[in-house]
Amino acid sequence: MSLADLQSWLRDEGIRDDLDAITWMTVRTELDNLLPEANEVVIDWSRLLLAGSILARSAERFDQETALRIATAALSLSKDQAICDAGAVLLGKLSNFRAVTLARQRNLLAEDLEGRLGVALRLEAQRREMERSILVESSGAWLQVNDFQQRFWNNAKGQNWLSASAPTASGKTFLVLQWLVDQMAVGSAGIAIYLAPTRALVSEIESNIARILGKNDSIEVSSLPLREKFDSARSGDRRLILVFTQERMHLLANILGDDFNVDLVIVDEAHKIGDNQRGVILQDAIERATRANPKLKIVFISPATQNPEELLTDAPPEIETVAVDSDAPTVLQNVIVADQVPRKPKLWHLAARQGEALLPIGTLELPSKPDGLRKRLAFIAAAIGQRGGTLVYANGAGESEEVADLISQLLPATVDIDPELAALADLARKGVHPHFRLAPLVERGVAFHFGNMPSLIRLEIERLFRAGKIRFLVCTSTLIEGVNLSCRTIVLRGPRKGMGHPMEPHDFWNLAGRAGRWGDEFQGNIICINPQDKAAWPTGVPQRARYPIKRETDAVLELGDELVDYLDHRDTPDLASLGPSDQFEQVGAYLLTTYMRIGSISGASFAKRHDEASLARLDRVLGDLASKIDIDATLAARHPGVSAMGLQRLLETFRSYSGDVENLLPADVASVDSFDRFVAIMGRIHTHLFPAFGPENVNRRYAVIVVNWLRGLSLATMIRRNIEWHQSVGRSYRLPALIRDTMDLVEQIARFKAPKFFSAYMDVLHMHLREIGRDDLIEHDLDIGTQLEFGVSSRTLLSLMELGLSRMSAVALYEKIARDDLSKDDCLVWVAERRDQLEAMDIPLIIVRELRERLIPLDDHGAAVGEQT
Amino acid sequence: MPAKPIDLGPMHFAKRGDAVAYLNAMLHRYDLGDKVSASDAVILRAALDRHPDAGVKIGCGITHFSVRTADFGTRCFWLNRPDGTTEKFSHTACVYGT
Repeated sequence: MSLADLQSWLRDEGIRDDLDAITWMTVRTELDNLLPEANEVVIDWSRLLLAGSILARSAERFDQETALRIATAALSLSKDQAICDAGAVLLGKLSNFRAVTLARQRNLLAEDLEGRLGVALRLEAQRREMERSILVESSGAWLQVNDFQQRFWNNAKGQNWLSASAPTASGKTFLVLQWLVDQMAVGSAGIAIYLAPTRALVSEIESNIARILGKNDSIEVSSLPLREKFDSARSGDRRLILVFTQERMHLLANILGDDFNVDLVIVDEAHKIGDNQRGVILQDAIERATRANPKLKIVFISPATQNPEELLTDAPPEIETVAVDSDAPTVLQNVIVADQVPRKPKLWHLAARQGEALLPIGTLELPSKPDGLRKRLAFIAAAIGQRGGTLVYANGAGESEEVADLISQLLPATVDIDPELAALADLARKGVHPHFRLAPLVERGVAFHFGNMPSLIRLEIERLFRAGKIRFLVCTSTLIEGVNLSCRTIVLRGPRKGMGHPMEPHDFWNLAGRAGRWGDEFQGNIICINPQDKAAWPTGVPQRARYPIKRETDAVLELGDELVDYLDHRDTPDLASLGPSDQFEQVGAYLLTTYMRIGSISGASFAKRHDEASLARLDRVLGDLASKIDIDATLAARHPGVSAMGLQRLLETFRSYSGDVENLLPADVASVDSFDRFVAIMGRIHTHLFPAFGPENVNRRYAVIVVNWLRGLSLATMIRRNIEWHQSVGRSYRLPALIRDTMDLVEQIARFKAPKFFSAYMDVLHMHLREIGRDDLIEHDLDIGTQLEFGVSSRTLLSLMELGLSRMSAVALYEKIARDDLSKDDCLVWVAERRDQLEAMDIPLIIVRELRERLIPLDDHGAAVGEQT
Repeated sequence: MPAKPIDLGPMHFAKRGDAVAYLNAMLHRYDLGDKVSASDAVILRAALDRHPDAGVKIGCGITHFSVRTADFGTRCFWLNRPDGTTEKFSHTACVYGT
């Protein structure tokens, strides 16, 4: 019998009964409110542990999971010290040192394990620990790591492109950030960019890097695309880590022009290169950085993907590439299905899924009858995850509020509200609205979480959830879109992604994979309600799946004729006739710009993945478009996702404009005509560039948001004004929906569409002004894209954000500052002079904390107050 | 009732309805936020002088006219004064005097 045969036999037959018994027992310890059941099984631990050590040598995920289950069970179920010790040794064999540390912290493992091991075992354990350690060059410290982390660290040396893929809870982000800081500290890179897909993740990564840097002031971390920081780093003053979304990277590249050049790019959540509409912007960002520095080092990170090497196929020929892939489990993930007991709506059968088979676990008892789907989700979550760390997935922001509200009603009323929860409730009331539903919920330890929330509130929710103070968090698909948040238990029923599409298996597993906090828990639980219901789970509860990486450009290029047809009709005066165009517009724009730059897409790096005949057809239609375009390739490249054909149409509109050309310019937000000019500009963009906005009545609504955003109004003020407007015109409204709607408009219009299209509009307008000799009308202030990205138009506000404040904090403080022209130093002086009065200013405590952390680095005793210096 | 002719600067209209139609067309020829051209401003100024509250509207003077949003999603002409203040006026009121 070969080793593989032995491993397979052990798993399927040899230890099956004992394995089922320990699974039953370990899973039951995780779930609350189960009806009691007797268990008479006696476990043969020595046999199981021997089997565990044989399975630990297998590379198969299922074998590794089984070994991990045995080790975890030995530590948590047995009272016998020798068995617990053996469990710890088995964890060591799996290189799962964090779990051993956790066992020590929980007193599952007596002190001095090494002393109790025989000489041979002790030597083996020490050898393993040494082998599984990496040297952090900058500090000289050794870091204990798992197999994946070690392979990453060893392969990340050198000037190669690396693509690393591992499941959630493999310690990817932690290690990559350590590595990044180490690279910067030893001088391997002077300027690095960390690309993250969302602003939420940008804030989180920026804070994490700042925490690792501590007082190290030779390296600066920033998420602002400003020339000043870049130039200072290039002149050698300080090394610089920039944490950006792909859009923000383009913004910096536009500001810097030919000076844009970085040494290292890290692409987090790199599988999103396949996302509809944004994938191509990411691909463009990577290519742009590579064009600026052909020797650029790139590290791609993705969660469990099938083909991480795919990301390396466009590396320049002289650059070496390496993929580091892992599918090893670090924490047990129990997939549990919940079905109602016939005729008993308050009782739910639970079963753990093991491959295709189901192992009955017990019966969950609910306190009330769950009428309706929302109640079902809420009641089961509240019962099964009563001890906290429970994430509940809701399909949409509105539903997340409803479900959170239901859960909160099932919890016992708290007399004393935790001060940190009270501070978050205060921030929600002052920063959003006095009746924002989040406030009373967080006071009871429940929260909801969705993408358009202000980042300061969302980050604090995530922090308090990690800290265990928020026990239930109801989230939406924002969590799949890139927020590093894990949980103990996740509860789902018929999860959808976006507008009603059932989740693909890899999306489901990206979400479900968050169950189990490595180093904090031994197990995570994924509770799937009504698995047999085809409306909820059209294809059943998905089996474990890994992301197939496929670039958006490749996917659209493979559509062949449809894309050719779209491009063939792109030069139309009637943009409404383009039909549903989002999918083709972005990739079409990318292809056209590529064509304009190199004269044929057959020479582009993606060409090798497509057949010659379709490339030739595309070349023909792109050539036809390019021949009509006066816009140069450099200008087009500044606006990824915006078609050069659209830019040309806009240019022609400007050229044929018979009125005073000054009318085409936007007006400063302080000016009385600012609002109206934005309405008109949106109209021109909508008609001539791309139908991104709407008719005049819609654009008025958008323009109000844009103007208020640029004026630096707080979200709370914008919501209040929106309410006042509804009242003045006698329109009815529902407060929760109005709040969400305002947040949505800020994110989608003021921070996404407006900067993208207004920047393009301004570039084309400036080209036209130069053509007609009206350079005098070109202003060189902060460009409109940057203004909108940050929602500021005053020097003082920008200075506050440059100092690291979130917009919410900057705006709250700016309401107290009279001058609008303060530099960073002026702002620091202003705050320092009032350091003892901050608490008395009626500013939410969380904002005061951020002010103190970012603007007052030293307290009265000379010690650092915050983690940022 | 016989039609009343009306002059607005260099423009002569056989009846007042024609003047209102002309100003309406002018109003909609512009985009929101636009500054009114010098030639149109002459006509508008003449119209404004006929407004029942002309004195109050004009105040310390006029630097230029604009087309901007009025209440409830409509648009109208606005006058802009040297002191930075601005005020909308109804071109219909200019023609009919009410």
